[in-house]
Amino acid sequence: MIIFQCEDSVDGIFSAVYDAWDSGLGHANVALRLQTQADLELFAEYRMVPTDADKAKKVARSVRAKMGMDAYQTIWQAALSADPGKAEHIYRVLVRGMSARTPATEARRLIWGLQDKDVCRIFELSRRTGNEARRYIEFVRFRELENGVLYSEIQAENQVLPMIGTHFADRFPNEDFMIYDVGHNDCLIHGRARPWFILRDTRPQPEAGERLSEHEQEMQQLWRNFCRSISIEARENRRLQQQFWPLKYRRWMTEGQ
Amino acid sequence: MRLAEGKSIYEKLEILSDAAKYDVACTSSGVDRGGSGRGIGNCSAAGICHSFSADGRCISLLKILFTNECVFDCRYCVNRSSNDIERVAFTPEEVCRLTIEFYRRNYIEGLFLSSGVLRNPAYTMELLYQTLRKLRQEYHFEGYIHVKVIPGAPQELIERTGFLADRMSVNLELPTAESLRRLAPHKSRQRILTPMRQVQLARRANKNELAVFRNAPQFVPAGQSTQMIIGATPENDFQILSVAESLYRKFELKRVFYSAFVQVTQDALLPSLPGGPPFLREHRLYQADWLLRFYGFEARELLSEAHPNFNVFLDPKCDWALAHLERFPVEINRADYDTLLRVPGIGPKSARRIVRARRMGSLDFPDLKKAGVVLKRAIYFITCSGRQMYPLKMEEDFILRNLLQSRETAPAETATYRQLSLFDAGQMLGPVPPQLLQTGVQ
Repeated sequence: MIIFQCEDSVDGIFSAVYDAWDSGLGHANVALRLQTQADLELFAEYRMVPTDADKAKKVARSVRAKMGMDAYQTIWQAALSADPGKAEHIYRVLVRGMSARTPATEARRLIWGLQDKDVCRIFELSRRTGNEARRYIEFVRFRELENGVLYSEIQAENQVLPMIGTHFADRFPNEDFMIYDVGHNDCLIHGRARPWFILRDTRPQPEAGERLSEHEQEMQQLWRNFCRSISIEARENRRLQQQFWPLKYRRWMTEGQ
Repeated sequence: MRLAEGKSIYEKLEILSDAAKYDVACTSSGVDRGGSGRGIGNCSAAGICHSFSADGRCISLLKILFTNECVFDCRYCVNRSSNDIERVAFTPEEVCRLTIEFYRRNYIEGLFLSSGVLRNPAYTMELLYQTLRKLRQEYHFEGYIHVKVIPGAPQELIERTGFLADRMSVNLELPTAESLRRLAPHKSRQRILTPMRQVQLARRANKNELAVFRNAPQFVPAGQSTQMIIGATPENDFQILSVAESLYRKFELKRVFYSAFVQVTQDALLPSLPGGPPFLREHRLYQADWLLRFYGFEARELLSEAHPNFNVFLDPKCDWALAHLERFPVEINRADYDTLLRVPGIGPKSARRIVRARRMGSLDFPDLKKAGVVLKRAIYFITCSGRQMYPLKMEEDFILRNLLQSRETAPAETATYRQLSLFDAGQMLGPVPPQLLQTGVQ
């Protein structure tokens, strides 16, 4: 068994898919693992795959062409998940979908076949990541800093930043904003009227996030008051509230503290 | 006018959000619009909730009244003119600033602007229009705006406002004209339905215009909604649901909201509700509303003159399925989409996944679970490749008891329990308790 180890990123996984396929060892004899994997396997040879943007791009392009945009989106979201076994599942699905023996019509439907164990896992991971990203589109709270930058901190389980960047850039085209994912140590950065990007393994200076603008406290107070006064006492139902708004998100939110 | 002067923005927001909270609609759905790149904001078709208040309702929009001063005296309303409360009003500038500053911080999805009637409907509507115009044209706000139509405002003003808003709504308030006459003497069915029809016709005309000129301004792109108060007047569920159905069909409404009557003012004409507001009834109406809009049901399939109220123990879909056992079990690998949709525990999403997945091979029960089917409800009504998950009886009483066992929806004080027998699961032990008989499921 030859194990291809890759970086925990979409490009990293796609590069490993490329290399594993290209190695000509036979799909049954290779496996994909993340480099963060702690327990190494006996009787296996490990090969470290360097992340290669060109290879990743080629894989992405051919997946889109043969399996369709929906399938690509699902696989891409699964690749952003926190699941340690995701690389292997993605590889198995791509082996089925991209094989020359699979006719194009079947390849396009492949992602619907929840009967298959790997497809099902990819579907679950993708749904989970997508749901979390949707939550953060709702729950990201910006605060305005002294220099006019909108700053937010989140702590996500999966790598949601690539999934929410487009939404916020479209929403605030003329704002400078930054979202820092505390758990992954990643920063999403958007400059006024410029494209957004992600800086990995970057921690902003902690005290920079505390220098608030003049009206920031006032707005936060207004918002907290609003959240209190909009609730109908006769209908109070904390359990229902918590079901929609789990406690783990509140720590980072203006009205949740 | 009795407007208090010199109130701070804190006090105004407190009073005017408190006064707006009995309006149910807080949805930001119905329109997909990317940002133009020049302003601030966009809209997503599914709507986005940003927070949840202590009553478990979503906070999506900055829901406020422009003013809580009102010349009308509707008996159920906290802002009725005879009620002795503090009256304040925002300025358009204040509303714009709050909206933009909240929006920038991702607190909200947009603005929900309603108002009491200041001086007269035309004057109030003009104020709302001016606020929206400022927000859209001076602040370049491209997020979601839901605005109330003030019944009795001039047509031309409603039309101008509609080109700035995403959704408009006129509240039906009460399900029948008779109840409206009793409780809202200043409003009439006529005055509520007229602007509703006007918005509907203007939307149709606008659609034709957009087909020709793609960049023509959009008129109320997210459609209109309305709301009814439940439990303040004696209508039954069948009447209410029929009203909702005809609103969807004849007025092309996007949503009808139901609001359990909460006692906020004292009035001899209002009922006293010793058991608290009818929340369970409201919940059942929403469930049925979903069945109308997404599941292809009709009001008269769910209820009838003879059976005019919903079962408190079972949701309307299970209730329907139990009354139509001749249509079940449904074979998962063959039934068409519409048939699948009628099975309790299967919704539009899982039905779509089933239809897609079975093209790749036959499905079994574990696969259904992965597709999102709620098996604890569905197992009584389906087969996979001709087999049931467990050997289950197709008997109304047996299924009813099993469905009730795993449910928490039955109110504790009226729930009736019967001892299950290990050896004779399908048999009734003793007579049917009267509460169960009353629900219409025997």
